[in-house]
Amino acid sequence: MFKIIVTDTSPLITLAVADELAVLLLPRIPIEIPDAVYNEATRIKAAPGAVQIGEWINRNSDMVRIVPTQTGIDQQRRLEENRPTRGMGEQAALEAIGIFLDLHPEDRVLLLFEDADIEKRRAFLDERTSLISTGEFLRVLEHENEIPSAEKILDKAAASGRTIEKQRKDDIRNAESRKELQEQIQTTR
Amino acid sequence: MTSTERETLIRAYANGEISWHSLQRRGFENYIEVLAGLGELGLRPPIAKMIGPNVESRQRGIAILQTHLRNKANRV
Repeated sequence: MFKIIVTDTSPLITLAVADELAVLLLPRIPIEIPDAVYNEATRIKAAPGAVQIGEWINRNSDMVRIVPTQTGIDQQRRLEENRPTRGMGEQAALEAIGIFLDLHPEDRVLLLFEDADIEKRRAFLDERTSLISTGEFLRVLEHENEIPSAEKILDKAAASGRTIEKQRKDDIRNAESRKELQEQIQTTR
Repeated sequence: MTSTERETLIRAYANGEISWHSLQRRGFENYIEVLAGLGELGLRPPIAKMIGPNVESRQRGIAILQTHLRNKANRV
């Protein structure tokens, strides 16, 4: 049996803002998301993609599971204490791989990685684990006629990211303008 | 970070020269900022080249996914 383990937030966020999370389930391979990766992607509800990721997991609970880890517990504690949590998603992913392979020694895992990472950093692996990047995953889907174009999905993610970021900046600017206006009204009264 | 530095980093990311984790260390707070930067420059997130220390396990991963999709298609 195979599982896909998502090792980082970037594949989830890329596909969420492109409104293409569904492509992750096209191979019908169960997906595990370490709790710290999930928390990182969804803890700020207003963050782009956060709601979509949460809803997608709930809708597909038969295929997508959040894996509790000790790192995830530590991450929560650090967040409560306003301490840094950078890198904890990856640490939780390593823990999740260990947990899965200990419980299922005959099984195999496919680790979904960020593209630029997979090219440079040597991943900790034994022969039961294989790697695939988001881009490679999409290209295989395209090659097997499951999606029309990997590049179109990545372009859509970048275009949506731009729109979302512009909207966020506009919102901040509008809020500042409203505040200034309120202050002016108060001083003229 | 100046806008020129930011653009240089985003271009380096799009070319696969630096990772998202490197961008985080250099001041990008979330991945949306990266996607937005790519979108503004008319670029897209990179697709990794088949080079580096993980080639064998990546080729294995691609083969596994292909086999899985083909088996699924045959079952339908």
